[in-house]
Amino acid sequence: MTRWKLVIAIAAITSVVGAGVVARELSRVGVHQWYSPVQPIAFSHKLHAGDSRIPCLYCHFGARTSRHAGIPPANVCMNCHGILQKQSAEIEKLKELVAIARPIAWTKVHNLPDFVYFNHSQHVIAGVACQACHGHVERMERIEQEAPLTMGWCIQCHRAHSGGANAPAASLDCGKCHY
Amino acid sequence: MTAPVVARERRAVDFTGTRTATPWIEGEPTLREISDDVIRPLVTRPGFGWWSCFAVALCALLIGVSAVAYEIATGIGVWGLNRTVGWAFDITNFVFWIGIGHAGTLISAILLLLRQQWRTAISRSAEAMTIFAVMCAAMFPLIHMGRPWLAFWVIPYPNSRGPLWVNFRSPLLWDVFAINTYLTISLVFWYLGMIPDFATLRDRTEAGIRRAVYSVLSLGWNGSARTWSRYETTTTLLAGLATPLVISVHSIVSMDFATSVLPGWHTTLFPPYFVAGAVFSGFGMVLLLLIIVRTVMHLERYITIAHLEAMSKIMLLTGSIVGFAYATEFFNAWYSHNVYERYTFVNRVSGPYAWCFWTMAGCNALAPQLLWMRRVRRSVPALFILSILVNVGMWFERFVIIVTSLHRSFLPSSWTMYRPTIIEVGTLVGSFGLFFTCFLLFIRVLPMIAMWEVKAVARHASGAHV
Amino acid sequence: MAQELTFFKRRPDAETSRRDFLTRIGFTLAASALASCSRGPVQKAIPFLNKPEEQTPGVANWYATTCAGCSAACPLLVKTRDGRPIKIEGNGESPLSGGGTCATGQATVLSLYDPDRLTGPMWHGETITWDEIDRRITERLAAARERGVVLLTNTIVSPSTTALIADWSRRFPKFRHVSYDAVSFSALRQATRECFGTAGVPHYRFDRATTIVGIDADFLGTWLAPVEFTRQHAARRRRALSGEMRHYQFEAGVSLTGSNADRRFGMAASDHGAIALALLRRIAAHAGITEPLPDVDAAIDEHAIAAAADDLWRDRGQSILVCGSNDVSIQVIVHAINAILGNIGATVDVDLPSLQKQGDDGAVDALVEDMNRGDVHVLMTYGVNPAYDLPAGPEFVRAMESVALTISFADRLDETAAHSHAVCPDHHFLEAWGDAEPVKGSFSLAQPTIAPLFNTRAAQESLLKWLGESPDFYSYVRAVWRRELYARQDRYHTFDEFWDHSLHDGVFEDPARGYRSQGSARLDPERWHAAARAIAHDHQRAAAARMPDSYELQLYETVALRDGRHANNPWLQELPDPVTKVTWGNYIVLAPSAAKALEVETGDVVRLAVGDHMCDLPAYVQPGQAQRTVSIALGYGRDRAGKVGNAVGVNAFPLVAAHGGHRRYVRGDVVLQRRTGKQLPLAATQTHHSIEGRPIVKTITLEELLSGTPEVMAPQPSLWPEREGGEHHWSMVIDLNACTGCSACVTACQAENNVPVVGPDEVRRGREMHWIRIDRYVDVAPDNDAALDVAFQPMMCQHCQDAPCETVCPVLATVHSSDGINQQIYNRCIGTRYCENNCPYKVRRFNWFQYAGNQEFDYTTTDPLERMVLNPDVVVRSRGVMEKCSLCVQRIQAEKLSAKQEGRRLADGRIKTACQQSCPANAIVFGDLNDPESEVARLRRSRRHFTVLEELGTRPNVGYLMRVTNGEKTEKPS
Repeated sequence: MTRWKLVIAIAAITSVVGAGVVARELSRVGVHQWYSPVQPIAFSHKLHAGDSRIPCLYCHFGARTSRHAGIPPANVCMNCHGILQKQSAEIEKLKELVAIARPIAWTKVHNLPDFVYFNHSQHVIAGVACQACHGHVERMERIEQEAPLTMGWCIQCHRAHSGGANAPAASLDCGKCHY
Repeated sequence: MTAPVVARERRAVDFTGTRTATPWIEGEPTLREISDDVIRPLVTRPGFGWWSCFAVALCALLIGVSAVAYEIATGIGVWGLNRTVGWAFDITNFVFWIGIGHAGTLISAILLLLRQQWRTAISRSAEAMTIFAVMCAAMFPLIHMGRPWLAFWVIPYPNSRGPLWVNFRSPLLWDVFAINTYLTISLVFWYLGMIPDFATLRDRTEAGIRRAVYSVLSLGWNGSARTWSRYETTTTLLAGLATPLVISVHSIVSMDFATSVLPGWHTTLFPPYFVAGAVFSGFGMVLLLLIIVRTVMHLERYITIAHLEAMSKIMLLTGSIVGFAYATEFFNAWYSHNVYERYTFVNRVSGPYAWCFWTMAGCNALAPQLLWMRRVRRSVPALFILSILVNVGMWFERFVIIVTSLHRSFLPSSWTMYRPTIIEVGTLVGSFGLFFTCFLLFIRVLPMIAMWEVKAVARHASGAHV
Repeated sequence: MAQELTFFKRRPDAETSRRDFLTRIGFTLAASALASCSRGPVQKAIPFLNKPEEQTPGVANWYATTCAGCSAACPLLVKTRDGRPIKIEGNGESPLSGGGTCATGQATVLSLYDPDRLTGPMWHGETITWDEIDRRITERLAAARERGVVLLTNTIVSPSTTALIADWSRRFPKFRHVSYDAVSFSALRQATRECFGTAGVPHYRFDRATTIVGIDADFLGTWLAPVEFTRQHAARRRRALSGEMRHYQFEAGVSLTGSNADRRFGMAASDHGAIALALLRRIAAHAGITEPLPDVDAAIDEHAIAAAADDLWRDRGQSILVCGSNDVSIQVIVHAINAILGNIGATVDVDLPSLQKQGDDGAVDALVEDMNRGDVHVLMTYGVNPAYDLPAGPEFVRAMESVALTISFADRLDETAAHSHAVCPDHHFLEAWGDAEPVKGSFSLAQPTIAPLFNTRAAQESLLKWLGESPDFYSYVRAVWRRELYARQDRYHTFDEFWDHSLHDGVFEDPARGYRSQGSARLDPERWHAAARAIAHDHQRAAAARMPDSYELQLYETVALRDGRHANNPWLQELPDPVTKVTWGNYIVLAPSAAKALEVETGDVVRLAVGDHMCDLPAYVQPGQAQRTVSIALGYGRDRAGKVGNAVGVNAFPLVAAHGGHRRYVRGDVVLQRRTGKQLPLAATQTHHSIEGRPIVKTITLEELLSGTPEVMAPQPSLWPEREGGEHHWSMVIDLNACTGCSACVTACQAENNVPVVGPDEVRRGREMHWIRIDRYVDVAPDNDAALDVAFQPMMCQHCQDAPCETVCPVLATVHSSDGINQQIYNRCIGTRYCENNCPYKVRRFNWFQYAGNQEFDYTTTDPLERMVLNPDVVVRSRGVMEKCSLCVQRIQAEKLSAKQEGRRLADGRIKTACQQSCPANAIVFGDLNDPESEVARLRRSRRHFTVLEELGTRPNVGYLMRVTNGEKTEKPS
């Protein structure tokens, strides 16, 4: 009889654990946290944003005015690299591409689905730090998606800043991001 | 074990009144004969009748499967719906099948509590019918969705969206819970009822896979007095649980309509009206099935005219209730003095879908009145035709409620007509296919009459169970 | 420009994958569940190489330009995103259109991305380089120097192009410029010349008129400049709230204008001369002019005409009579009446006339003869399609064979281009420089909003090139403006300054435009007596010729397709006709009596025979259609328009008659016969036009309004708890007194919100996707079905505070926002359609199929080129989800953001929804109820305000202002 009890107990436990694992895996579908593709040019944010302390908005100027933060046009890179003496294989790649007037095809890291409307400028104006969503970029050699970018992740921040003392209020309306 | 049986004997007298001789089994089969009769279909090869029925049912099922596959692959557009009529065949079929299910629960739960002995022979198949009907019904809310692959979103589960829960104000959500509860309870009830018979089967079959299966299913039943008394308690308790479900499920389904703002839907009458209608159609279907089965499987002995008559009495009652409900609806529309309400009901009787309304009224309100005549109640062919009429009528009732209310609602600018497509018809046919396929398989692999209960009401019933 | 072009030309694939995401997500879910460790599709992000100063990805740029949809040339503002024009809006600077647009104008942006456009020049059907084709053409032109060179165009309203044509006539001695209009006004031009010396179409000022009498002139729908006239009409209707004004319309078919008239009378077009005469007789009597006028015995409603004439006389000097007939005599009588009434110079301006419709029918007929005679060696067709829209199209094609070189500037291989030797595809107007002067003294500029998509070239640049000058129309326009206009103003002191401002504003008003003559124009009575005799004579002839079983045919333009040049535009094909609500194709409109006589119903096929010309059309039974007359729309039945417009309906241009050298859109010799058993169900979005006595469109008489009844209805009690208000409370009010039902908003919404086109079959099934529709309700007098009372009601999501849809959605896909918007969350929707069923207004639209990118629905989203018109701020909905009006939430967001960016508070009126912006009547107002001073809050307090189906307690945030009718309106004509 105890043998039966044991069997049943084991069965129960395994099924519960199994269900848990499956549920967890399914909830990760389409979540690309820690995504960090190899880029055509091994651009180091650590070097530029960290060590050299170049402000994010210097290159990603779109973030101030536009929905897209934008990837800097090559001529922005050349603002400095036109003058700087320092050379490296990667900088050579850049200069070659500029020479033959071909834009660089970067691989997009932070992707939001089509049905989400996200506007960088809105958040920059509200004083949200870039790191709040993009993580410690200034410490990354290669860019990596630090946040899960799930709706729950967006909402927890919006909840924290919805109304109250810390204006401007973040909205919790569905229609704020989905239309 | 004798005591309860004797007690039941006495009550039987009280209830059926007239004769002390309970008419619920014809002839005087010994207990072994009963077992033989009931188990015969399970051990012998099926006859021509069964095969032909099964073939037809299977074809229907295949038609349905292909229709649904096509619809899910292409889009709801393959149905005849439009911007004004958002539901038609899909939800009509849903409500229809849910309704069918009701008789089973009613028989097995309420009649058990009322100690109605005549239920014994038919309860098993009625419960089976309930389960298959609810299966058919549950299919429709799924396939009527624009994106069925996301159906799981109606289940409240923790998720990475905030989390984002479901809308507990929505009757559709209530449906989800109501139907699942209903299905679960019915299944448990059905299985529980079969345990003693599984034991009987186990004891009758010699060692082998079949026996192994039966012994697992019978959960080590040993027919001791202790087991029996526990068993009795459990069934009674479950019956008590199931009883409110008979009322709740269809009340909730009716709220899909009752809680809306649409003239023709928005009425407090719906819950009782729908429950009555459900029982009505349910018994219609049981009657139909049993008339077929008793002839095909030669069980006239256990499913007697008396059974049929008893059921037809219930049909007469519920049918009259339904008829009364129709009248009340019209009175309300007239009395409300509401231009939209009034138009909806004028449109029902005289509009482009008037023929549906009159079919419904004829089959549901008028036809059952024939059952006032004992001669009709005891004539198998008459009951056969009536039960078909009732099912047709009840299907049209749902169609009339849904489509005539939708196609001409508040703003005349959006009035349209609805015409079903072949795909929708195919889906309806398919649901019948699914139902009958399941049922035909059921009568081959499971004892379709509760042996132990029948034995209990057999003339020379004794405590012994073979 | 080039830079950004290369930028976004790489984009479509990226765009596509973004847009189709929703499509796939369902399957993705299942698929990625299996392979959830694998990543989604890798997305590339390609930045500019050198970012142009004015371009920031994701930020819209606006350019002022001028519409070329018709000759009205409305000034526009064009919204471009990432270098692509995606939305057209009216330019509020314009004194004519006042920021309004029409459905056609709204749709022109889609034609830019029409995959049926030619991608380069063609010679005898072969593609060829510009250099080569220029070489061949120039040498042939040189050969034909002393011979006939003809440029055949539609009306040219561009001063620069006119100047360029003048250059040609200087260069080529035998050069001739012939212009005609598919729908001709040449009789009106001639009448004006006869009466006032100057040929031209007067510039009408309906806003100054207290009494309007229209005879078959659909000036709110299709006649001359509908946008301008609608704006004037609305202004007039607003004034009418304080005093009585009357608009009489005498017409054969039911037009948009007739539907909006205070009193409309269905009268056969052949009687319009008689009507004009009767009006003249009575008005002359009032004026004490005693010369007798010839009598015409026509069955016309004397009572109605007397009433109209008396009102005209009472408001002389501020009344107006317009007539759409292309008959010189009738137009002379009309001018005479306006002259007697002293309207000339007041409401009818002949000194600063309209420059539209300069076409001369006689000249075209003469041209065809010359061509046959071989006098024409080079024929250039620009902006016209004679093979299609001339009554004698086939003859014209035959005549083209005897021309040495035929050149077409058509943007596609249309009916005429297909028979031309050379095709030099013109730019779409959004790719080209240009200017316009639709009314004398009001100018506007056109500038490119995108670099040419294909290897096309502006017609003017071709013309310059062939003159041997530099093909640079930009400098040419500049030169013309420097020469002609710069001098006329003294505001700017350098030309560049003047140019930059004009280019920025898009419009330039000649300061001298203020001048008006003081209605001095009197006609010499002999002139109108002659006309009167002519009318009487014609009338007798027509009466004599009429066979007993014959019907009278009237040809008209539809609001959507006009003369058919936009036939390949899916938005216009699917735009419900404001009057019949039918889409995709034309039909023969019958009066109920005629339908009974022929034993046909709507949808039955009728065969129409004129002599030996026959065509089969479905019938449409229309109460209000004049007895024994039938109407057919022009502009359909193209066979070389493109994938969308080909073989939709029947071409009615061959039915156009001629009379005294002018096209005539009426003929009396039509025989009808029912094609038994044959049916062509019409694709109508509304099939039931009676309001069934329901209080949906509320009407108030002027007396009630002035006397202060009824009182504002008290808000209904509600069981729901009051919602706690948010920062804003968005609301909309629609003035049913101003709305004419012109349907510009429908197309504007479609463009703004990526609303799919579903095609005739789906429309027939009642599945059109428009977020805003114009409901039309008709009340027909039982005794006389020619007297109509028509009401239009724009209907979109009412954004109920207590919305029935919100309670029933099981997954919270439709919920209420804190600022009063009923939000539909597409990506949450599982498509139970419960909300649609429970919506009392039936404004929700379901994606029955995957419309976007589906070859089955090959209209606007299959070709990557077509997808460029999509608004990137609005998601493209996938199959199986519900959608509906969002109150243009993306525009609300954008305005709130820009206010935030500029650190100012959001001013009332800054947010304009697409429908509101396009409305030429300014009938739609949107704003914030939390601001009691806002326009919308003010209107919601108005006595005319009501909400539809108030009694349901849905408390809509969209409200309406009641129609105001003149008390007399209810009285039916005897």
